[in-house]
Amino acid sequence: MRRLYPLIIVIMLLPLYLVSLSTVASYKKAQLRDRGVSYVLPSALLKITSLEFDELMSDYLFLKALTFYGGTLDRTERPRIKKEEWLWMYDVLNAATDLDPYFLDPYYFANANFTWEARMVKEANTLLAKGSRSREWDWMLPFFMGFNEFYFLHDNALASEYLMEAAKRPDAPPMMETLAVRLAYKGNRTKIAIVFIQETLKKTKDKITRRDLEIRLEILQDVLALEQAMEVYLGKYGKLPRDLKQLQARGIIAHIPKDPYGGEFFIDKDGSVKTTSDMFVVTK
Amino acid sequence: MKPIFPVAVITFKEGIRNRAVYGIIILSLLMLTANFLICEIIMREVGKVAVDIALSTVSFSGLLLVLFVGINLMAKDLDKKTIYMVLARPISRTHYIVGKFLGMVALIIVSNVIQGCFAAASVFMLNSMYPAYFQRFSWMMFILALVFIVLSLTLLSALSFLFASITSTSFITLVLTVVSYLIGNSLSDVKALVEAPKAAGIDPSPVTIKVVQTAYYIFPNLSFFDIKIQAAHGLMLSFPFICWTTLYGLVYTAIIITLTCAIFAKREFP
Amino acid sequence: MDTIITFSGISKAFKEGISGRRVQALQDISLEVAQGEVFGFLGPNGAGKSTAIKLLINLIFPDTGQVLIAGVDAGNREVRRSIGFLPENPYFYDYLTAEELLMFGGRASGMEKKEILQRTDLLLAKVSLDHARKRPLRTYSKGMVQRAGLALALINDPKVVILDEPMSGLDPLGRKMVGDIILELKGLGKTVFFSSHILSDVERFCDRVGIIVGGRLRLEGRLDSLLTVGETLEDLFLREVAKTGQKEVL
Repeated sequence: MRRLYPLIIVIMLLPLYLVSLSTVASYKKAQLRDRGVSYVLPSALLKITSLEFDELMSDYLFLKALTFYGGTLDRTERPRIKKEEWLWMYDVLNAATDLDPYFLDPYYFANANFTWEARMVKEANTLLAKGSRSREWDWMLPFFMGFNEFYFLHDNALASEYLMEAAKRPDAPPMMETLAVRLAYKGNRTKIAIVFIQETLKKTKDKITRRDLEIRLEILQDVLALEQAMEVYLGKYGKLPRDLKQLQARGIIAHIPKDPYGGEFFIDKDGSVKTTSDMFVVTK
Repeated sequence: MKPIFPVAVITFKEGIRNRAVYGIIILSLLMLTANFLICEIIMREVGKVAVDIALSTVSFSGLLLVLFVGINLMAKDLDKKTIYMVLARPISRTHYIVGKFLGMVALIIVSNVIQGCFAAASVFMLNSMYPAYFQRFSWMMFILALVFIVLSLTLLSALSFLFASITSTSFITLVLTVVSYLIGNSLSDVKALVEAPKAAGIDPSPVTIKVVQTAYYIFPNLSFFDIKIQAAHGLMLSFPFICWTTLYGLVYTAIIITLTCAIFAKREFP
Repeated sequence: MDTIITFSGISKAFKEGISGRRVQALQDISLEVAQGEVFGFLGPNGAGKSTAIKLLINLIFPDTGQVLIAGVDAGNREVRRSIGFLPENPYFYDYLTAEELLMFGGRASGMEKKEILQRTDLLLAKVSLDHARKRPLRTYSKGMVQRAGLALALINDPKVVILDEPMSGLDPLGRKMVGDIILELKGLGKTVFFSSHILSDVERFCDRVGIIVGGRLRLEGRLDSLLTVGETLEDLFLREVAKTGQKEVL
């Protein structure tokens, strides 16, 4: 009988254990959800406190940003991520890449999310510049920077410079140079953007990112088609159409394409095609 | 139940007189001094950083106490056969484990109170130096954070007892305890990561998810007790949360100690 | 006379190393010690003396057979209320003082504080540790630790005193002190069960001896009936060991 005491005690405690575990876990989850973003220690200080484990600390910080981002995916509010949360993520990634400037993932994450979603293109490029300096063999990072300059910041000269840099690095795809040259002239923005995304897709394995890119590509292809239709309209009637319905009415396009993000395409005042879902901005 | 207390008393005395304890206290004093230097170079949230460092110091020195004093208390008994003189008394093995553990808990509490006072002093001084940054700071949360540190260290110490009862050398006990500590602190995050609906760029295999979920139920979730963030920002915690977390810690500890007793009852000391 | 210690049909094997090879430490030991007797347990190193003593304290458990103390199974913790035990090469807590050690021993045996303090004074004087009573045990020499251990074994005024190699690590003065204590205990009607490989000690104090070689009890009986005229215990012992074919350096 005595020998059974431990077993009996454990069996009696187990339900209490499971209940308290799941209760605390759900509280913690809620706390995490409305946890404000906190201050990130300056990386110089982190470098001291992480002793010889700089890389490990870097990995940890990156995972922290990643989990935070992952945790926001089921939020319902819009915008999903607040400005100060983006700033916090930037601080975390900045610290992570200070601790280990060769670590690709934070740059990749920054490029994927700080540009399209957060509109913190300058910050993304600051991070990428750090990575490009350290990972001097990697053509991807200057390529990303070039794209961001071209697409978001509209600085073709600078974009062309970055792409030239990318073209010089080992294993850079041959189209890089052509793209750089083409950028130096005022070219078709949408077309170049499509080439950029197609090139990025080739290098992307991750399913979720791929899907995002594919949707963006689809939108850009729609925009390109609409823009081409507008040019046809311009050639026929000598002026730009007032709205996309006119294109349809005059039989230049069969129908107005649907935005996969649920928005609607329209012609902006400056004559460019945009979408109300606002997932990206194409201005001239 | 009576024989438990003499064991607890000698365990506590032996522990508190250990030279390592002074070393740990000196280390934490150094860290708390560093707190002043660090706060000088912080520009934005001095209050938060001050509380962070103060609490982390207490937590870290507590960890050292459990790892280097606590494990030794138990391991030395087995290595050097000190346990003979205990078990030669009318003391059962369960008494021995529970007494030893209570002594260790007393050691953790006393050391935490001492370190907590140092930490509070440093926060108090920084508070009076930069009152503007401490507006949301609450002493209640600070004390609660200290209590939670005690709970988490108690739990870790219980685990080290379990490992000591299974293994034969203190080194393996130390390694297993450190590993549990690391796992325990990252478990929630890792689980959140692998279970996130489509966490950016992460697509874990079903096996990974199962392993993490199993570990989640076996290893202690030490991050539950980490409320440094709330203390640093003066965020309030709900009363039920505090109770449930305390309950979780106590129940986990009780289960581990019960298992330790069961294993110990069958152990021989040749 | 009442029987106070009973080994009946005890066998004990240990698993050795990672291979798990079983080593038979004790083989079918049966032995009785009566109340008030001084029993000497003799044997070469590794013969199983310590194993038998650890079975008495319930530090290890027998594979077969039963160990009884005053008719109660050694597994019952209450029997240890009337036992004093000094392990071989004892080691106590580094940072405790002799006083605290004895206080622990007394408290753990359920004694009152006042009584413990009285006996502490008495015992520390007896083992000549009075001057060092407030010093941590870490600062003690090997002999001092051994004497402190003896005081600890006697703190609860035990009926049965079990001493594992009580003479080892002691200088001649210390050995005389331990011998005197054993004789005094005998005078008080206590039972003393001790192991030793120092034959002259055994010869001096023991009423009865048991000789154990290779885990088997070879010989057991009253010293005066075992020894033939003109024979010393050493002769007897060497003869017994030689019978088993073992070569043992004493």
